Amino acid sequence: MNKLKIVIAAVSLAALNHAQAAVPAAKIQAMLAKPPIMCGRFDQTKQLAGMKKPLASEGRFCVVAGKGVLWRTLKPFPSTLRLTRDEIVNYQGDRVAMRLDAKTEPTVRVINNVLFSLLAGDLGQLDTLFDGDGSVDADGWSVALKPRQAALEKAIGTIKLEGGAYVKSIVMNEAGGDRTTIVFSAIQSGEAAMTKEEAALF
Amino acid sequence: MTRTRQLALLWLLAVCLLLGHNVYLWAVKRIVPDTDIMALLPVQERDPVLQQSFSHMVDAAQQRVVVLVGAADWDDAKRAADAYSTTLAARKDIFDATPINEQTQSDWLSLFQQHRLILLTARQEAQLRDQPAQFWLDAALAKLYAPFGGPKLGSWQEDPFGLFSGWVQERAQETPVRPRDGHLFVADGQRQYVLLPLTLKVPALSMTAQETVLPLLKQAGDAARKATPQAELIQAGVILHAANASSQASGEVSTIGIGSLLGIILLMWFAFHSFKPISLILLSIGIGCLGALSVCWMLFGQIHLMTLVFGASLIGVAQDYGIYFLCNRLAADEKLDSPALLKRLLPGLCLTLLAAVIGYMGLALTPFPGLRQMAVFSALGLVFAWLTVVFWFPTLIGGRTLKSGGLVRVYGAALRRWPLLRFNRATLVAAVGFVLAAGYGVSRLGANDDIRLLQNPPKHLIADQIKLSKLLDAPTPVQYFLVRGDSGETVLQREEALKARLDKLIAAKRISGYQAMSNWVPSAKTQAERRSLIEAKLLADGGPLQGIATQTGEDAQWIAATRAGLLTAAAPLTLDDFLKTPASDPWRHLWLGQTNGVYASIVALRGLSNAAVPQVLLAAEGLDGVQWADKVAEISSVLGRYRQYMSWVVLGAYAVVYALLFPRYRRKTWRVLAPTALASIATLALLGFASQNLQLFHVLALMLLLGVGVDYGIFMQEHPDRRDRTPWLAVGMSAANTILSFGLLGLSSTPALQAFGLTMLLGTALVWLIVPCFGSTKESTQ
Repeated sequence: MNKLKIVIAAVSLAALNHAQAAVPAAKIQAMLAKPPIMCGRFDQTKQLAGMKKPLASEGRFCVVAGKGVLWRTLKPFPSTLRLTRDEIVNYQGDRVAMRLDAKTEPTVRVINNVLFSLLAGDLGQLDTLFDGDGSVDADGWSVALKPRQAALEKAIGTIKLEGGAYVKSIVMNEAGGDRTTIVFSAIQSGEAAMTKEEAALF
Repeated sequence: MTRTRQLALLWLLAVCLLLGHNVYLWAVKRIVPDTDIMALLPVQERDPVLQQSFSHMVDAAQQRVVVLVGAADWDDAKRAADAYSTTLAARKDIFDATPINEQTQSDWLSLFQQHRLILLTARQEAQLRDQPAQFWLDAALAKLYAPFGGPKLGSWQEDPFGLFSGWVQERAQETPVRPRDGHLFVADGQRQYVLLPLTLKVPALSMTAQETVLPLLKQAGDAARKATPQAELIQAGVILHAANASSQASGEVSTIGIGSLLGIILLMWFAFHSFKPISLILLSIGIGCLGALSVCWMLFGQIHLMTLVFGASLIGVAQDYGIYFLCNRLAADEKLDSPALLKRLLPGLCLTLLAAVIGYMGLALTPFPGLRQMAVFSALGLVFAWLTVVFWFPTLIGGRTLKSGGLVRVYGAALRRWPLLRFNRATLVAAVGFVLAAGYGVSRLGANDDIRLLQNPPKHLIADQIKLSKLLDAPTPVQYFLVRGDSGETVLQREEALKARLDKLIAAKRISGYQAMSNWVPSAKTQAERRSLIEAKLLADGGPLQGIATQTGEDAQWIAATRAGLLTAAAPLTLDDFLKTPASDPWRHLWLGQTNGVYASIVALRGLSNAAVPQVLLAAEGLDGVQWADKVAEISSVLGRYRQYMSWVVLGAYAVVYALLFPRYRRKTWRVLAPTALASIATLALLGFASQNLQLFHVLALMLLLGVGVDYGIFMQEHPDRRDRTPWLAVGMSAANTILSFGLLGLSSTPALQAFGLTMLLGTALVWLIVPCFGSTKESTQ
């Protein structure tokens, strides 16, 4: 989870300038379903430089408008990440492995915004941090995001998003050669999308 | 030409020189009074390293102006802050805005990254000692599989256990200020603020600088409010306090000076019905002031504004000589010529001057540079005024110049009805009553040596200061730990021992954190310990690193490569390396470097409340080379010591004055001193009844009271005959004027000056009332 903290720190270091992105944001916005609650399954593959085998993990995620993001890795190790307006908490089993409070770390809110926007496909919000380049066709859209700040690019690399009504996949390429691919599936929306367990976590 | 004329002409020459020098000073050199309130405090030479640390911290703080521009909405705050900085940017000659350098931000980590293996938080170090291998395996795997987990300070392999990122996180929390959108950002529950750190290019304590900077800040504030009407502005800086103190003091100079002059003019008019005596007295005072200023400037090379404030009260004493001469002239036979009259008055006049100068010289004995200057200024002023009276008055005032006014007759008649102390029952009863009442009053006196007595900043400045330090969670520059050692390494090790204790205080919520050089550069000893700890607990065969390889299907080669990669980042980090990088900029002031073979550093505390101080300072106990430094307590204790010390000086001065007067008054000497002594005791008792706390400035006033009160005693003893109203008139006029001038000093909003003024007011009034009771009519008529 410390890595996340650093992403957070890096994002916060970035200066935002407002410029128009070459992203057909309006068209993408029109395609997105943007439900208040959506949950689904993710499959993550990480290929790290210097490691032979890719690292696969899977789990469930929920994005709740106005509240935040719940990210539950189920395999190979159960681990839950909850991002809300006021804090970022990581549970390993029942144990709180990490808690980051917005009161002591003011950038928590900025970070949560970015992650929420990434998962929700809300490109307008990302415009200030990233240079975008994208295309839209009948089936869906794809966007390549490049951080406007060199420091941020060093920290998180470039990001590719693909989607239709929902974000379908996120690919992150780091300068060091590490590559993370997250594919989303079985996305449901509405109150019923959340399991009782997940609702309890929020 | 008579001798009187010669002397008068000689003095004219001297006065012309003084006048010329003053014109040169004010018009050509354009001198500006010094307004640094700290100049009033003693320079301490007991501990050079401690003093150096104080001035180091103060110098770093003095030229800084910190501005927070806030609004509920971040964009509003940014707009207001931009308007504010644009206004100031036009004056690059005055302000140096610290730029937000993005390059530095991305680069500041690179040095630490090269040494990341030895950078651990205290908690991580404890966990490394206590937690089993499984804990670290779990942590590394969780990080490995975590979402968005790729990049940050480097790849996963560079920091598989997240130790370095935890350390960076802890360092980031040393300040709540974050870069955001090219601004510095800090927030509380209600508002978001842009932080504008400014550095003054002009000296904060110079009055000309203050006159330029303050309107500029106001203009910038107006611009910010125009951009965002609901913007909140919080400003703090030494210059704001200094400017306030200057304007307060300037205001008081004119109030006290003008009030004093008006009082004198009115009194003179009622007494002599002529403007000639008034102008003559003013002439003597004026020459006294000019002379004092000239010589003081030559002696000190500068003049403090507080000296001028205090000097304003000089008017009250300098007039005594002129008044004494005039009153005697009024009473004397018209046929007696003035030089002959002066000859008769000269012994008394000499003694009054001597007594007053001794009184002021008592002030000069204090180690306070400001007070010393005030004392020299006052004593010189008196000497110049006295010389003017002696050299010029006999020539300028003839036997028929003066006529007695109505006030003089009414007042003079009062003397006859004044009680005279005799050795009888009534006196005994009065004495017992006085002893009891005074004893009770004096016993009620507390003492207060708080440094805040020296300055009284307005509420809004204090409120801003409090809010600012709360928002920025910045450490106080006046209370900290000073750590010393014979080498940089020793200092760092001692810092670490101290920090281990401070961590417990953080856990107990006595402080919120600390800033120390060793937070960034651990001692070489600690670095070596950490390296072996990590090698043993994380990298050893069969340890967590091997566990990761097993889980992820990597081989021995991968383990070797990863371990080698990690160990390259275990090279020792030296203090010099760190000090060379821009990353050390915000912390460089903590390192005092080497002074006479002693290395020293500062460990600054955040979130320290006054209530917690007694507990926190104990952390230094028993630690070699660690000392609690508290500038506030230091100054307060100096004030306290000198209050006690000056009390003895006052008693000593009574003895000296008694010895001085004895050859002339013999067995009646006690009659000269007793009124002043009794008035001083009564004043203390009254202060006690009013529940006042005794401070240095009360005692200093008692010293001065001795100088003034002895004058009255001498006047009365020089003319023991009760039918002679002359001394009574001189005492009354002089006391009334002293009360007017010092009473106005009692109106000062600076607590110290107020205490001084109040003591003088009570004391002078009491001496005036008591002095006729100690007349010795009986013996004198023989």
